[in-house]
Amino acid sequence: MTREKRIIGLSAIIVAALALLPFVPGAADSYLFFLLYLFFLYTIIGQAWNLVAGYTGQISLGQHAFFGLGAYTAALVWSRGLFGAEHVYYFDPLTLIASGLVAAAFALVIGFPLLSKLRGDYFALGTLGFGEIVRVAFVKGGSYTGGPFGIVLPSSLYESLRPHYWLGLGLAAGLTLLIFWIRRSSLGLALVAIRDDEMAASSNGVNVLKYKLVAFALGAFFTGMAGCLQAYYLFHVSPEGFLNLNWTLYPILIAVIGGSGTVLGPVIGALAVTVVFSYANIFFPELHPIFSGLAIILVMLFMPNGIMRLRFRGRA
Amino acid sequence: MPEPVLKLERITKRFGGLTVLSSVDLQVDANQIVGLIGPNGAGKSTLFNVVTALYRPEEGIVFLDGKRITGAPPHRICRLGVARTFQLVRTYLTMTARENVMVAAVYGGGAMADAGRACDEALELVGLAASRDLITEHMTLSARRLLEMARALASRPRVILLDEPMAGLNASEIEEMIQVIRRARDERGLSVLWVEHKVDAIMRVCDRVVVLDHGVKISDGTPAETIVNPKVIEAYLGEPSS
Ligand SMILES: Nc1ncnc2c1ncn2[C@@H]1O[C@H](COP(=O)(O)OP(=O)(O)OP(=O)(O)O)[C@@H](O)[C@H]1O
Ligand SMILES: [Mg+2]
Repeated sequence: MTREKRIIGLSAIIVAALALLPFVPGAADSYLFFLLYLFFLYTIIGQAWNLVAGYTGQISLGQHAFFGLGAYTAALVWSRGLFGAEHVYYFDPLTLIASGLVAAAFALVIGFPLLSKLRGDYFALGTLGFGEIVRVAFVKGGSYTGGPFGIVLPSSLYESLRPHYWLGLGLAAGLTLLIFWIRRSSLGLALVAIRDDEMAASSNGVNVLKYKLVAFALGAFFTGMAGCLQAYYLFHVSPEGFLNLNWTLYPILIAVIGGSGTVLGPVIGALAVTVVFSYANIFFPELHPIFSGLAIILVMLFMPNGIMRLRFRGRA
Repeated sequence: MPEPVLKLERITKRFGGLTVLSSVDLQVDANQIVGLIGPNGAGKSTLFNVVTALYRPEEGIVFLDGKRITGAPPHRICRLGVARTFQLVRTYLTMTARENVMVAAVYGGGAMADAGRACDEALELVGLAASRDLITEHMTLSARRLLEMARALASRPRVILLDEPMAGLNASEIEEMIQVIRRARDERGLSVLWVEHKVDAIMRVCDRVVVLDHGVKISDGTPAETIVNPKVIEAYLGEPSS
């Protein structure tokens, strides 16, 4: 218990220090600042997958669809002025929430048939198929979605990376805190029961489909908001940039490397992935994917349960 | 006559062309322990799976306290008052013992406000109070069987279905389990439907014994009536006593 309190205290201090960092002169212009932004973005998508797969045991391979749906929601709402011409869309809470909600709504609509009919690998394949359908739909969306080129947003609004950084930090810390709370709540009991033994869970009164849907939609909600955040950074939402399978692979790597089914695992994993990717980018720009892939294989070989679970070794 | 707690009417279950249960009638009265025995493959576990809605029967109706429950999903069946354990133990391995029982205490249909107390009382009744913080993965088979029992009790059911709770236990663990089953009935006023291959334990404890053979009910009576029933003797002839 005291150990846990120390970790909570330390985390709070780190988050506070990170929140104050942009006030340090020059900090916001450094490469490190951009890396921290990426770290936050990776933490959000990693934690979202962690909630669905790590805690509830449902392997989703369609996270890129939710990331893309969130980004496209922001882009469409903004470029078409759907909330009114006077509305400020850049870093607008309403647009951000709408991105999350659209992704979550799709998760419910697609999750209902998939989760009630398919289990395990078949659910994973179903979500992969869903991701592909969404990608093709946006590519073929004609003038409405901008087709393969996508939608360009007014990048003249960009002043600095600070708002992205703060929003990313807030979402990453908020989602991590939410997962910490869920783990202790009765919702967490249901999710872990489903992961550990679905048949026992239903025989103990847990409405398995309902709680799978809750986890899936919650994960999609945060992934959608991450997509919106990234749209605010790139000002260009395209199938290539947002409905790319990487946005499903990254969260899996992040959660697995750090330790899925733990509260802090994806945070550690996101940090590791950010470092590995950026070094690979600097030293072997062409070989980046190979280098990154290799790092991941090594981690999985030597730390099959993730960094967070290393300390439990030898206990079981 | 008072309403039986659990009543099965003409339950028929087929898998493809194989009829596993043929028109089985069965009832469990209030506060009774009813044994369900029969050779391997007789359909005992299938019967439990039909009652708890893991399988849908081709024909037949299940009543709980006179109300039809067939057609409700598994979690509703539990909330209505039918709890169970599994032949191959199914516990939540990454959870502590107490968390395992909390799942049923919170979701099993009892009042949410009493969940904590129901959980601790159930652990107490099965004798696992001291192991409450153990991770289930590290518990012995007999402790896990008791844990499943505590989980069933924590959902505050009307009737519990026990599927071979003594399989794999040694003699002293079997005695312990018998005491737990008796206590569940006596202290909780529960009804129990109990599948078991340890026929001597069944004969000692049960108020009534039902015998299934190849999906057909061949006997239903007191233990004394059951052991002299020629059909039962025939069904068990050549069966290794286990
Ligand atoms: N899901 C299923 N699909 C097909 N056949 C099944 C299925 N479940 C059970 N059976 C068959 O139904 C028959 C009865 O099985 P069941 O498990 O109910 O027997 P049992 O009485 O519990 O036996 P045991 O004492 O060995 O546990 C067996 O022939 C079994 O192979
Ligand atoms: Mg069986």
